[in-house]
Amino acid sequence: MSDTLTYVYAVAREVDPAAVAGLEGLGGRPVRTVEHRGVTAVVSDADRAEFQERALEERLEDLEWLAATARAHHHVVDTLGRDHLVAPLGLATVYFDDERVRAVLDESAETFSAVLDRLAGRAEWGLKVYARKGSPAAAEAEAEKPKSGADYLRRRRKALREGDTTLEDARRAADEVDAAVSALAAAVKSHRLQDAQLSGQTDPMVLNQAYLLPVERVDELRAVVASYQDHPKVRVELTGPWVPYSFAAAATSSSGGSAP
Amino acid sequence: MSERANRIEIDKDAVRRDLMKLVLTIVELLRQLMERQAIRRVDQGDLTEQQEEDLGTSLMLLAEAMDELTEQFGLTADDLNLDLGPLGPLLPRDR
Repeated sequence: MSDTLTYVYAVAREVDPAAVAGLEGLGGRPVRTVEHRGVTAVVSDADRAEFQERALEERLEDLEWLAATARAHHHVVDTLGRDHLVAPLGLATVYFDDERVRAVLDESAETFSAVLDRLAGRAEWGLKVYARKGSPAAAEAEAEKPKSGADYLRRRRKALREGDTTLEDARRAADEVDAAVSALAAAVKSHRLQDAQLSGQTDPMVLNQAYLLPVERVDELRAVVASYQDHPKVRVELTGPWVPYSFAAAATSSSGGSAP
Repeated sequence: MSERANRIEIDKDAVRRDLMKLVLTIVELLRQLMERQAIRRVDQGDLTEQQEEDLGTSLMLLAEAMDELTEQFGLTADDLNLDLGPLGPLLPRDR
């Protein structure tokens, strides 16, 4: 039994083996291609010991290992994605050997082709919308001491109301941005809102979306985002273009998006 | 021997602080609930002016006492919040 497994980074189309020459994958191992029926799997060897079922479960808890693996994975996908059509696979997708990879390509050639067709000429963009916190004037008024019990209650009511409406307004504005961008996108995927601690932002996040956008509509996207630059209620953050991680799943979900 | 006694002393402080944190968290939760309930009743208008004033004063004093206590134990308002995972935080992030 060989002591290596085959790690698959991505599925792609028309990859010249020369294009991956010199590209380093996991643990600095050379990246190569496995082609079958017009679909190419981008692979490298991986230590069997590292990826065996039991060991892998433990390793996925090991943040250091996870970070290194994710970086290597992303490096390969990103480098290749610059001038190729790629559908990235999930982290730590391993097969027994190249033969097994070929068999999978054979079984699911149509699915892979369909996914690649959907991704062709499109890139993923990330959009995060944050609510802008209340104006500094309101905070100042809060600072001086309330004169009486009734006054205190009035202030608290105002503060609570403002907090609620700020978020509501922000959500409404976020829905507008989302609708405008979704109209441009081929597919939309909602991600979980990140907690303030995780995102490192003090403003609460109200929208976290990924859009699969045709390359030629990028200017329109930028225009939409720019029009919200000075919005009083929300702050809009656009990232991309990304390799379409959020849209590489085989399921042809096109929720909310309209085909261009 | 004295070294050992010291160590126990430090642990005791940590325990005391953690316990205080937990107690204050629960008190803060109740305080916020009472405050919202009071505001609701004022909105409904079924309180006399005097009752409103008394309620407001009590809540104000309670808020001040909470601030003093948290400060005394070297805690911040954020410390008094528990992360309930998928349910989000126990208290609103900013009160």
